[in-house]
Amino acid sequence: MTAVIETEGLGKRYRKLWALADCTLSIPAGHVVGLVGPNGAGKTTLINLATGMLAPTTGTIEVLGGRPAAGPAQLARVGYLAQDAPVYAGLSVADHLRLGARLNPDWDAGQARERVERLGLNPGQKAGTLSGGQRAQLALTLAVAKRPELLILDEPVASLDPLARREFLQDLMETVAEQQVSVVLSSHLISDLERVCDYAIVLVDSRVRVAGPVDELLASHHLLSGPRRDPATLPEGMQVISASHTDRQSTLLVRVSGPVFDPAWTVSEVGLEDLVLAYMKQDGGAGHRNRHMEVQK
Amino acid sequence: MIWLTWRQFRAQAITAATALAAFAIVLAVTESHMSSLYGTSGLTSCHGGTCAGLATRFLEQLTSGQSFPLLPDGSNAYVILYFLSVLVILITPVIIGMFWGAPLIARELETGTCRLAWNQSITRTRWLTAKLTLTGAAAMAVAEAFSLLQAWWAAPIGKAVGLGGSASIMDEGWFGYFVFPTHGITPLGYAAFGFALGVTIGLLIRRTVPAMAVTVAIFAAVQFVMPLWVRPHLIPPSRTIATIEAAGANVYSINGYRMAGTGFRGYTMALTGAAVPGHPGAWITSSGAVNAAGQPVSAIPAACQSAIPSVQAGGSPALNTCLASHGIRVAESYHPVSHFWPLQWAETGIFLALSLALAWYCMWRLNRRRS
Repeated sequence: MTAVIETEGLGKRYRKLWALADCTLSIPAGHVVGLVGPNGAGKTTLINLATGMLAPTTGTIEVLGGRPAAGPAQLARVGYLAQDAPVYAGLSVADHLRLGARLNPDWDAGQARERVERLGLNPGQKAGTLSGGQRAQLALTLAVAKRPELLILDEPVASLDPLARREFLQDLMETVAEQQVSVVLSSHLISDLERVCDYAIVLVDSRVRVAGPVDELLASHHLLSGPRRDPATLPEGMQVISASHTDRQSTLLVRVSGPVFDPAWTVSEVGLEDLVLAYMKQDGGAGHRNRHMEVQK
Repeated sequence: MIWLTWRQFRAQAITAATALAAFAIVLAVTESHMSSLYGTSGLTSCHGGTCAGLATRFLEQLTSGQSFPLLPDGSNAYVILYFLSVLVILITPVIIGMFWGAPLIARELETGTCRLAWNQSITRTRWLTAKLTLTGAAAMAVAEAFSLLQAWWAAPIGKAVGLGGSASIMDEGWFGYFVFPTHGITPLGYAAFGFALGVTIGLLIRRTVPAMAVTVAIFAAVQFVMPLWVRPHLIPPSRTIATIEAAGANVYSINGYRMAGTGFRGYTMALTGAAVPGHPGAWITSSGAVNAAGQPVSAIPAACQSAIPSVQAGGSPALNTCLASHGIRVAESYHPVSHFWPLQWAETGIFLALSLALAWYCMWRLNRRRS
């Protein structure tokens, strides 16, 4: 399968500030990809580059093998739900469906109508009077009914209350299962992504810290606890992501390719949330060293 | 895309249609009285010399207290209507620029809906082309409709002015600062330009309200610069040298001057023509005094200094006669009435070209800068 998003040294600079730097990624098709990172990490920038809303400062990006927003055919292959789910306040729900039908050659009118009915949206209602959750659902309907191969969602649940958030994600997963569409979804809330994603990309300080299928990530990261020890004395090939020490004990989150045999450690599994948080906590210096180590491997 | 453009433009289109209908009704209601006055004025059957007097009487009738319902007695309804209707045509392009042009892209950027629109299966170029073409065509149509309605309504006034009628107001002629840009085909050019300007400013500023304000400011400046510095030179003016009398010229200011250390030396004058012999209704773009050899002069000959009136402003017949007898005449640059349409085409062409350039710039920027 080809990559849904492939980047090479991708960077975007706003005046002097790099919003995204040195980003090299290859996201395989058929995944629900979670793009995680704190606010301002560059998630939206990466998404805007992938949808062609921004042009890169450096590097290249290909989406489904084509240049983002290059032409009608490329646009038709990517569904995009922008942050805050923008809709035309003055247009009704039905108007939005008509807009979708007029502007997308592969528009699935039946599915759009069925979705709107199922979600209980009143077709005559002006989109400006919808609740945040309904607006997000309407915008998602527009994005999925154009029958894209890739669905890109930028913080789709950030402004929703917990119930609407759960409903939205559930509905999204059903749609994904039905349509066999790849999804890239950003959020600063890991708990949301944990439920739906099988591939994770952690972005911190404009840089990709780690990326890969969730099960592989979980399998290669371990939480070690044992007597206090200097992380520098760890064996080659064991990469410390985060470390905390008490007087007598050290707790390390490490990345290793194989199992850990050292009997001094108590090894336990990590959840996605702990893993992501560990990467987020890494300071810039540690980040540089880790990248360096990765190069050595 | 045509559907979406229309759907988003619908409310504005209805507003414009309502305004146009109201304008038409007001003019239609008042037109019959004016044309009946014209019918009884004798202007339809006058010959030669009598016409100017009849025309002036007709204009005076119009400008002196034609009472109408809703207006106070004795108010000059036709004067008010005339200027209001011209004003409507004059500001239509800038209103269009403000309310149709500036929000066209700026509001999409402001509310984020551009991210929705630009991710349907349609390129930004097509999106903008549809919007610019349809809304721009509507803008031009509305402006020209206002202009044609007003021209129909004001036809008797135009005819009376053409026959030599003069009144203190409403007798501007074809080249008047209010008449030229509101009649003929110029409203098309101004409307297209106002709209394209609004769109461009909206794209650059990215916020609707500031974009509206900047659009108004720039458009007002253009409306000012155009007649004063550009229009006179759009096509080369004709030139002539006329006698002071034939040019209806007057010395409009007189200044004494001194030379350093030598005391009082004489007077300078500024002489301007008011008419071009043989070309009634011509637009004089510049004029000045020349001597018998045709060279510009400003000094009043010493022999005429005794004829200078005591108050240092305005000329006097004696001064004019004296200047004429010293061979001083008036050089005039002017546009005869026959230049009206060439000037109209030139001005409209300039604005249409500017509009296309702005539209092209918007396309380029939308695709290059990417949001």
